Amino acid sequence: MSEATAATAADLDWRSRIAALPPGALALRIAVAVVVVFVAVWVSYKAYGDPRQFVIVGLNGLTLAGLYFVVASGFTLIFGLMRVVNMAHGSLYMLAGFFAFELQERLTGGEATSAFGTSEAGVGDWIIPLVVACAAVGVIGLVMQQVFLRWNQGQDLRQALITIAISIIIADQSLAHFGGIAEAIAEPTVFPDSVSIFVYDLSYPFFRIFVLLVAIAVGLGLWAVIMRTRFGMIIRAGVDDRQMVSALGINIQLVFAAAFLLGAVLAGLGGVLGGTMISVDKANDTQYLLISLIVVIIGGMGSLAGAAIGALALGLVDSFGDVYLPAGYTNYSVLLVFALLVLVLAVRPLGLFGRPA
Amino acid sequence: MRPPALTLERALWWGPGLAAVLVLLFGPLLFSDFYLSAVITKALWLGIAAASLIFLAGYVGMVSLGQVALYGIAGFAMANLVTADGGSKVAWNPWLGTFAGVLICVGVGLFFGAIASRSYGIYFLMITLAFAVITYFFFAQVTELSGFGGVNNVERPDIVSNPVADPANLFYIALGLSAAVYLLIRYLGRTPFGLALQGVRDDPSRMRSLGYNVPLLRMLAFGLGALIAAVAGILSVWWNTRISPGSIALPQTLDVLVIAVIGGLYRLEGAWVGAIVFAVLDNWTRGLELVGERFNTVIGVVFLAIVLLSPGGLMGIWESVTDFVGRRFGGARPGPAAARAEEPAAAKDTPQPS
Amino acid sequence: MRVPSEGSRTRLWLLLGALTLVLAAIAAGCGGDDEDDGGAAAEETTPAADTGAGDTGAAAEGEPIKIGIFSNNEGAFAPFEGQTWGGAMLPLINRGATPVSGDPTDGVENAVIAGHPIEIVYGGSDSTPDKAVEEARRLVEQEQVDILVGPLSGSEGIAVANYSKEQPQVTFVNGISGAQDTTLKVRSPNFFRFHNDGTQWTAGLGDYAYNELGWRNVVTIGDDYDFPYSQIAGFVAEFCSIGGKVTERLWPPLGEEDYSSYITQIPEDVDGFFMGVGGTGTVAFVKQYEQLRGNLADRIMGGIFMTDPVILEELGNQVVGVVTAGMTAGDSQEPAYLEYSEGLAEAYPELEGTASSVFAYGYYTAMEAIAQGLEQVEGDLSDDHAAFREALTNLELDAPLGTITLDENRQAIMDNFLQQIGEDTTGDGVPDVKTIKTIPEVDQTFAGFFSPETPSPDRDDPKCEKATPPPWTQQGGGG
Repeated sequence: MSEATAATAADLDWRSRIAALPPGALALRIAVAVVVVFVAVWVSYKAYGDPRQFVIVGLNGLTLAGLYFVVASGFTLIFGLMRVVNMAHGSLYMLAGFFAFELQERLTGGEATSAFGTSEAGVGDWIIPLVVACAAVGVIGLVMQQVFLRWNQGQDLRQALITIAISIIIADQSLAHFGGIAEAIAEPTVFPDSVSIFVYDLSYPFFRIFVLLVAIAVGLGLWAVIMRTRFGMIIRAGVDDRQMVSALGINIQLVFAAAFLLGAVLAGLGGVLGGTMISVDKANDTQYLLISLIVVIIGGMGSLAGAAIGALALGLVDSFGDVYLPAGYTNYSVLLVFALLVLVLAVRPLGLFGRPA
Repeated sequence: MRPPALTLERALWWGPGLAAVLVLLFGPLLFSDFYLSAVITKALWLGIAAASLIFLAGYVGMVSLGQVALYGIAGFAMANLVTADGGSKVAWNPWLGTFAGVLICVGVGLFFGAIASRSYGIYFLMITLAFAVITYFFFAQVTELSGFGGVNNVERPDIVSNPVADPANLFYIALGLSAAVYLLIRYLGRTPFGLALQGVRDDPSRMRSLGYNVPLLRMLAFGLGALIAAVAGILSVWWNTRISPGSIALPQTLDVLVIAVIGGLYRLEGAWVGAIVFAVLDNWTRGLELVGERFNTVIGVVFLAIVLLSPGGLMGIWESVTDFVGRRFGGARPGPAAARAEEPAAAKDTPQPS
Repeated sequence: MRVPSEGSRTRLWLLLGALTLVLAAIAAGCGGDDEDDGGAAAEETTPAADTGAGDTGAAAEGEPIKIGIFSNNEGAFAPFEGQTWGGAMLPLINRGATPVSGDPTDGVENAVIAGHPIEIVYGGSDSTPDKAVEEARRLVEQEQVDILVGPLSGSEGIAVANYSKEQPQVTFVNGISGAQDTTLKVRSPNFFRFHNDGTQWTAGLGDYAYNELGWRNVVTIGDDYDFPYSQIAGFVAEFCSIGGKVTERLWPPLGEEDYSSYITQIPEDVDGFFMGVGGTGTVAFVKQYEQLRGNLADRIMGGIFMTDPVILEELGNQVVGVVTAGMTAGDSQEPAYLEYSEGLAEAYPELEGTASSVFAYGYYTAMEAIAQGLEQVEGDLSDDHAAFREALTNLELDAPLGTITLDENRQAIMDNFLQQIGEDTTGDGVPDVKTIKTIPEVDQTFAGFFSPETPSPDRDDPKCEKATPPPWTQQGGGG
């Protein structure tokens, strides 16, 4: 891959590459490096002061990152292949959460969903809503793509506007039908509440670890599909050169549809996981769209590895920011996210692993 | 350039606009106090906000979703600097506060423009959206700046008076500023700077090879967009007499985008056309039993329809109409291409990054 | 985006035709607004008394009185719109009006108070101050209502109260917006609030924590916006004035759904903590706390959110034992309360069980006060409502849960109720809420702790200081 050759060339000559940088860019990189070092020192200092808290918060960050990755991977897949920025991605997340919640209510007769009431929620009572919600949201995504996005490929902005319009409509209708109260999807009662994590006598919510494991599985699965299957090969080729792929007689429209379906299903999976781990709420569409955007801006469009790194960065900043900022300034934690974006964009305007069109 | 000939097509194109301006000049006589203040003045400052978006999109090829966040920064800065209930305790003179608010907004705009100047097209859109949502969360969470339930009773310069009791004052100020913004942008489009911006919109790599500093140009353009947005922001705070985080949340950002698209994303006039349609529709549907609560669905559907059927928005439709009529009924005249020479060309969908 | 080609020209004409129709319709609808006297949009209002466009100003014998009611039809509190309208319509229904349909927001017909027909005008906002004022302006300036009831959310209330100063010819009565400043600081002469504010809703908890539970150190945790500030301010005012200490106040940012990092910051050795986490966060918070720290019930007190029936159904059995406080007592057996609760359920079956919701109760007391005030002056609204406002100011409202009077800022003084969440014995899936104590005649200032000069409740205010114990605490002579 061209990245490999570029990397070797860079390795050979990093000194002269630095020397060749214009002074402004060099200063910028130095500034970024200083900030990174400062942050590392600050975090280490706090961690040393309270290792138990560090472990818990670190786990919070990792598990959040897992959730973010699941959601953002769908987003970056759709963009990388079809160059569609699906602004309705967060809406799909939210819809899946609401669908799953409603279905679970019906299945358990409304008992389990009093946020973890005394009655049983079987494994089936969680899996079935998960599957149905993902399927439903996948179909909605697919329909959206076929009806609204198929015939105007290449018009990035127009497609973004279309998906924005759809997200506005979905948000309003879902407020009308599902209401504005936050709900929580119940986990299967067989899942333990907490597990011991063998360090410092701590225990940690099991479901969050479950989410992390699912995220890792999703990541590995996607990587396997993209790197090892024919379908994945077509996707990679399509990302590189769409016209050539269709000139080779491959039904590119089918591949697009399948990829969009997959992306939407991933959003749905994220929605159900997040709805169980945190809650299902009408603000989710904005929140998770923002999260997907940030993860992909940091990691680079169309890159799975980038999405993983971006999710990790965001999850950790979110969690540590809440706790490690000086007391009295914790409400500035959103600025940390902004700072993170600025830092990355300063040195890599297209994201860490992004490539120009 | 020889002065443009008066053709049927041009008359149709400009006629309604001029008529509208004339009507507006007599606004306080024609409309009720309430309508003047709640609908028309609102449409004017929303139009300015949309104009900042259309300026960036049409002249520089930068579709930005950050304009509402920017005007929020101007508004909150001013609200905190003058006498008000909530926010910081500083109490400057209202004119000074206004000026400072605009300055701060332009500063942030330039800073953000610098960060985003190397990003193009859809990527740029995403970054500005992230910026907008982050700005909202910032004000929502930093209550030292956004006050207890917002910043209320923001002091206004005397001339602005009370928007409820004397709506005519603010109306004329908004009208004047709208005209000023419109003329400024049109004028700018013909200056070397403006032409350079349009060059950047059309082909950044060629501009670069001609020796222009493209990122710098884009950054400056974004700062200019911030200036226009700041004007809208100050007007909005004067109009509301307050500002709260809810004034600049994602729905408001999308509202301005919707206005710009409905009006016509690459036509400057579209800013105010879209704004008046939006404001009138909003006011009208509130009273309707059937629609009342679901205004957002209505506007979402209208927005979708426009994007699907007529991406040029209402102005695009109007242009087709004048084209058609002009061709059918007009005599020999300079072709449509020449007539459009002074207006921003209907740009390609997104400029291609190098 | 080039001008569309020939092929799509038909589409363009279709769209143009459709738009022309829409614009024509708009023009027709707005035609009435283009006149200086404005507001000829009466035909678009909620079906009301068959009186035609109401006259404004001095309503003489038999002349219609226009009452505008607005709540939230968008935003986080939209689900409570039905409750607010149900509460507002009930006093009219008790005086002979009939509901238009099973949906409370459709209003009532044949509403009459003191011989005057009542026209109801509908409004709705989205919990942001800007929209609230826009709606208030539409109802007051375009629809020309005589009396306005609303709004719903805290920051909306402050904005509308400020606006009311601009419209001295209209009487404003608060819906359920609970910010302290609305009456304590804004003090608009034509804005009345006939229910306790958010700070008053926690009266009694500080006393209970200190004297009954023996707590001396407490940590508070609340969402970082105005309503939790109010709630926690009340608790701090009471608890600290009698000697308790609030050692830390945690404020997860608005929109933060992941409370785990905040939960880990709660020191292990405090006696208890006060939870002012609001609506959407309550569910997430309770769940995450359970997972990280274990059972809540013996170390926590909650604010008003925990007793709302809709939220309680969500929270389930995990909050059994928790003590909270609020201005309503859902388990009251007083005849007046039963009459109110049954009346509500009969008029609007879908609202059964929600009579104790503050949303219903707040709008109910507002409308009931208006009705009684109008009855006292026989509908005389002359002279900018002078007699009517006098009547309201001096009204001793016999509300279902106790008498309500107003202080000099037109803010209610009423009882508050200490409650404990118990097991669900009624089988309706909702944990029972048992009233364990009535706190009499809570005033907004907490015996002088709050005044127009004290800083508004926020992250650090009020300071935790010993002060004059409020009269209802043990230290203050009550208890």
